[in-house]
Amino acid sequence: MIGGSPWTRRLLAATGIFGLVFLTLPLLIVIPMSFSSARALTFPPPGLSLRWYETFFGDPRWMEAMWTSTFVAVVSSIGSLVLGGLAAYGLRRGTFRGRDWAEGDFMAPLIVPTIISAIAFYLALAKTGLLGSMVGLLLAHTVLHIPVVMMVMGVAIRAFDLRIEQVAWSLGASWWYTVRKVMLPNLAPSVFAAWIFAFIGSFDEVIVTSFIAGKYETVPKKMFTELILEVNPTITAVATLLIVFTVVLLAAVALILSRSGKLRQTLVT
Amino acid sequence: MRGNGFGFIAPLLVLMLVAFNAPIVYMLGLAFWEKGRGFTTEHYEGLFEAPVYLRVLGNTMRISLIATVANIAIGYPLAHWMRGLGDRARMIAIALVVLPFWVSILVRTYAWIVVLGNGGLVNRGLMWLGVTDAPVSFLYNELGVTIGMANVLLPFLVLPLFAAMIRIDDRLLQAAASLGASPRTIFWKIYFPLTLPALAAGALLVFILCLGFYVTPAVLGGGRVPMISNLLDTLINQIPRWEQASAISTLLLIVTLVIFAAYRRLDRKASS
Repeated sequence: MIGGSPWTRRLLAATGIFGLVFLTLPLLIVIPMSFSSARALTFPPPGLSLRWYETFFGDPRWMEAMWTSTFVAVVSSIGSLVLGGLAAYGLRRGTFRGRDWAEGDFMAPLIVPTIISAIAFYLALAKTGLLGSMVGLLLAHTVLHIPVVMMVMGVAIRAFDLRIEQVAWSLGASWWYTVRKVMLPNLAPSVFAAWIFAFIGSFDEVIVTSFIAGKYETVPKKMFTELILEVNPTITAVATLLIVFTVVLLAAVALILSRSGKLRQTLVT
Repeated sequence: MRGNGFGFIAPLLVLMLVAFNAPIVYMLGLAFWEKGRGFTTEHYEGLFEAPVYLRVLGNTMRISLIATVANIAIGYPLAHWMRGLGDRARMIAIALVVLPFWVSILVRTYAWIVVLGNGGLVNRGLMWLGVTDAPVSFLYNELGVTIGMANVLLPFLVLPLFAAMIRIDDRLLQAAASLGASPRTIFWKIYFPLTLPALAAGALLVFILCLGFYVTPAVLGGGRVPMISNLLDTLINQIPRWEQASAISTLLLIVTLVIFAAYRRLDRKASS
């Protein structure tokens, strides 16, 4: 480690801790606020209550939005996982020409600003009469979360020893059989991680959904609309639930990856 | 016989062509086509004549630049500090950076309304300290938007930067020290140049993401801090002028792709 005077070190530690506080403090503040008994957003809350959770769970519109979000996230993340996972394998192990081009295209939804994707989906769906349809919403969500699946699966497949597959092939296994019986069981932790990442991504997606979902309400879309209109403390309860949901899913991913020794690999690369 | 593996990507290729590439191409073409008249560039000419577009563009550039600089000022020391931590503390620090990255952007943006509001923690703290008598307005202006954006994007800078810093061999720094270099010299002549490609790549990435930011300016700006994305929203959803939106999107996409190409070059250099 670079030494430096005690003062430089103290300054560095102070800046580092400030950075971590800056990143996490807002999230930590929201949680106690969601149990506040008051309508005004003052910290610390004047009293404790569960009234904002009651409002949330008692409101059929929020429950409806929860269902829609869950349905869209489950279906589209499975779509992204299957199509993206197979493609990641084809790109790593295939020998056909134009692989770089195809990979660039599959990663494009990550690079193209989301607002531009949203407008493109909006215009194309309006043209085909699918604006505001569930099919359009599912297609868009599937496409948007292909890159995260490709990244996680691409790293995992690259790290997997090609010779193990070659043994299976030399024993007469077909390519498809090798993928199902050799690759999948070995890469199961990464497949799980990729699926969870696509699921969280879809569940939290707000921009494209706000543009194309029409009458369908998802949790983020409803939250966004409410935030623009007025600040309602029910949002604090929704935010807390979303934080807990993310922490639980990420903890599951970290646990499964660390058991198989893949945590570092997925985090760092 | 195993074939060349094209079958594995074929389903996704079809989906992407139909559900992503075609919509993007259709959107790009819209600005050049006028019903009954054919090819036109008038929608592009319109952009440079209307001062409102130029003002929003200037706004977007300024906010993006400030948010990126703020990110560097906080992110570089943070990543550097994390590198020097012990294993356990370092894992906790990484978790604290990664977690917000995955929490919904709406939640993180909303949290700032709670923290920065008139009765919020920051204002109460400032008044308690006697820095100010009346609450400072952080919300619904450029300051709030910039703070929110810097916060949301910080992990994008810190994580790759930290990965690059952790790859620097400690022995290199020890060798320099044993040859009599002062800590200051070691930092500026060896350590900093080695982290520079990752820093530049991270900063470009943050800048690109800033340019297309939509949620944070809409919520923390309260409609008073329009950025390109919010302008596009208006042109699509409120006063339908799709051709104009298409022209602006095309320009934004080109700028993004050019900066992204620069990012790719630096990123390769950083990870080699």
